[in-house]
Amino acid sequence: MPETTASKRSFRIHPVRILMYTLLVLGALVCIFPFIWMFLTSFKTYGEHSTRVFWPRALTIAPYTDLPESYELELELSPTSTDAWGGAPSSQLPLMEGQFELCQVAAPVQDQMDRSGVELPVTVLILIADTNSEVDGYDTFYYTVESRVIQQGTTRALLGQRWKAPYYLSAPDMQRWGPQLIVTDNDPEHFTLRVTWQPVTMFLFNYLDGWTESDFGKYMWNSVRLTVIQVVGVVLFSTMASYALARMNFPGRNVVFTLFLATLMLPEVVTLIPNFYIVIQLNRFFENTFGIQNAWLNNWTALTIPFMASTFSIFLLRQFFAQIPNELYDAALIDGCGHTRFLVQIVIPLSKAPLMSVVIFNGIWSWNSFLWPLIVTTRDTWRPITVGLSKFIEEAGSRIHLMMAGAAIAIIPILILYFFTQKQFTEGITTTGLKG
Amino acid sequence: MSIETQFEQRLSSKPSKSRGLHGRRTRETIQAYLFLAPALIVLFVFGILPVGYALYMSLHRWRIQRGDFIGLNNYIDLVGSPLNLALIVVGIGLLIGSYYVWRGAAEQTSGWKTGLRIAFAVMLMIGGLTLVLGVDGMINAAEETRRTEDFMLSILRTVFYSIGTMPLQIALSFLLANLLFQGIEGKSFFRMLFFLPYITPTVATAAVWNTVFEPRRGLINTILTWTGIAEANLPNWIFEPAGITTLLAQWFNVNLPDWVVSSPVFSGPSLAMVAVCIYNVWVFTGYNTVIYLAGLGAIPAELYDAAKIDGAGRWSILRHITIPLVSPTTYFLSMMGIIGTFKAINHIYIMTQMVGLGGPQDTTTTAAIFVFKQFREGNRWGVSTAAAFLLLGIILLLTWIQNRVAEGKVHYA
Repeated sequence: MPETTASKRSFRIHPVRILMYTLLVLGALVCIFPFIWMFLTSFKTYGEHSTRVFWPRALTIAPYTDLPESYELELELSPTSTDAWGGAPSSQLPLMEGQFELCQVAAPVQDQMDRSGVELPVTVLILIADTNSEVDGYDTFYYTVESRVIQQGTTRALLGQRWKAPYYLSAPDMQRWGPQLIVTDNDPEHFTLRVTWQPVTMFLFNYLDGWTESDFGKYMWNSVRLTVIQVVGVVLFSTMASYALARMNFPGRNVVFTLFLATLMLPEVVTLIPNFYIVIQLNRFFENTFGIQNAWLNNWTALTIPFMASTFSIFLLRQFFAQIPNELYDAALIDGCGHTRFLVQIVIPLSKAPLMSVVIFNGIWSWNSFLWPLIVTTRDTWRPITVGLSKFIEEAGSRIHLMMAGAAIAIIPILILYFFTQKQFTEGITTTGLKG
Repeated sequence: MSIETQFEQRLSSKPSKSRGLHGRRTRETIQAYLFLAPALIVLFVFGILPVGYALYMSLHRWRIQRGDFIGLNNYIDLVGSPLNLALIVVGIGLLIGSYYVWRGAAEQTSGWKTGLRIAFAVMLMIGGLTLVLGVDGMINAAEETRRTEDFMLSILRTVFYSIGTMPLQIALSFLLANLLFQGIEGKSFFRMLFFLPYITPTVATAAVWNTVFEPRRGLINTILTWTGIAEANLPNWIFEPAGITTLLAQWFNVNLPDWVVSSPVFSGPSLAMVAVCIYNVWVFTGYNTVIYLAGLGAIPAELYDAAKIDGAGRWSILRHITIPLVSPTTYFLSMMGIIGTFKAINHIYIMTQMVGLGGPQDTTTTAAIFVFKQFREGNRWGVSTAAAFLLLGIILLLTWIQNRVAEGKVHYA
């Protein structure tokens, strides 16, 4: 109809249309504001979050411009004075001390100092103790400024490693901006420090902190492995099962189909406890008969195999396989091709789209699964990121900036995957798969 | 040998084999079961066996290890006395009866008869609800056994949870889908954003919402302070065990009678539960919108054109074409929404991690959380599986009722 298309083409600014867009934008904002809040908070310092600063300093250009030059510094060490800590209480008695003047600081520290009326240069006192008398040299060092701020570390173990800057002045979140101290040589004769300012550390501080505090690298790797195993299993099992259900004639087909159908309604809570018991029994059985320790508990088997009979995927594929014209199979049969070859050479290449849906959906579900992994993992060996994150959240407690960095670490891979497969995703869910 | 003769040989060779057609069928059967074997084994071990096993467990005293066989005692403990159970069954019966009376009312032609029937149906419904929820029985039984009260209360909280999420989710997503359907620029972009909450890990988003609801520095309370809506008495959200009726009364300085404050039904869901509901709506509105969009797309365009020719306005098109024709989607989504609230564990687990699972004061302990708590914290596996079975029964019953209600109401285009 020419009239309707013409009226659609002409974009008149209509009050109703403006209202519609406003509502949609509002809806979209509601959908994404928690993510924005998460990313903003994950860049904040503790102080910024508690004083309800909206935009974190780390996301402005200011802290990264005019950073002081890094320099190497050889400390003159001398025996400690009687009041080595400058009045600060400590149970440790250092053996040696040395000091240097800090002449430059990063912009956020400068602000903090201005506010508390401290002026540059600041004298930084390095106190060195020997925690193990058998070892030559000094093992622990403390880092104090104005007798108030102390950071300690083992020089030997951390030789060459990056140091977090100390608790500068009062605010605990000043760690982030101050100079990083790297012990490059811990020989008592020429004790050398490297004083550096690293923009990457400043920017990603919470992420690095969270990453080192909890074993996110391992959890992430576990999640990737589990997701791959589960997706491969689901694709393999459900392709075979749905091919049999869609294209083969055999007695009991309807019974099998009904069996699969029945489990769709089954909530996870009902099967959770007996499944846990079954897994324990299987674990015991494998240990007694095959001598395999932890074949099921704390292992990928318990985490992935129970989900490999994915009813949703079987339905989705069966529906698609059933639509493949019979003539194709008859032609293949005449060419002497059996079910297996027909499946591998013709059906699978034809059903790339539904297989892709199966891969994406099962991948996301596997990545997001929480309750079952929580129950069957007691150690870190196969613990996925969701469970790791929940533990981290518990430990982070009030350090919400760290908690949000952890949440972002778990969300980012999904976001990336989603932005690349977004079209298949929404189309997959609308045309084929409806699952709550 | 030419191709033709090869071809003919192949064609003729199969039926002429001694086993013939029968042999081929046996072979196909064996092959089919080989294909099905991996999925069937997994389904049997982790899908069907557990249900039977759960039934077996629920009939025993089972705390990690199997104890004595105690028959239906776990169930009786959960539901309360047999009298209580009987009351609930009668209540459900009344509810079903009220539905039939209601449906009969729609068929009546004369006005006063319809009114009478509706009134009767409403009476039956209230009676049924009272019995099912066991308002009095529950409070009395609470003094007898602690567990009883917990389970019945957890069902009540789940009902609150359903009422607090499902209608809002459906309404919002219907609105958004209809807006998106009007030939909007950047439709797929909006759709992508709306779908975001559903695909991101629940653990992570629930943790984010936890900090959004945080009473002192959370986003919501910060906004409330900035806009000046509430400054002194900021809501405690997840930390607040008081019911919303009580809180609203406080807000408007109304004095509520004691029986309202102390009644689990009338004091309403706790503010913590409201926070959980808000999270749930946030997650599923986008998902529902995408599904609704598909439903709207399936309505034939000719219907709209015909209606326009007949001079129907926007409102009557919506009322007489769109709403009836997307009713299968609405039915599907509402069913999934309600069943979802009966299954929900993950986000409540994360959101109440700071106040204790199902906290504060157990006010977010829904039925599924109750099952999980009995299992994890109480180690009462028998009780837990019994509760899970009751839950399964409720879910099946809901599905059945919804199926009956949907009959004749849902238009399949």
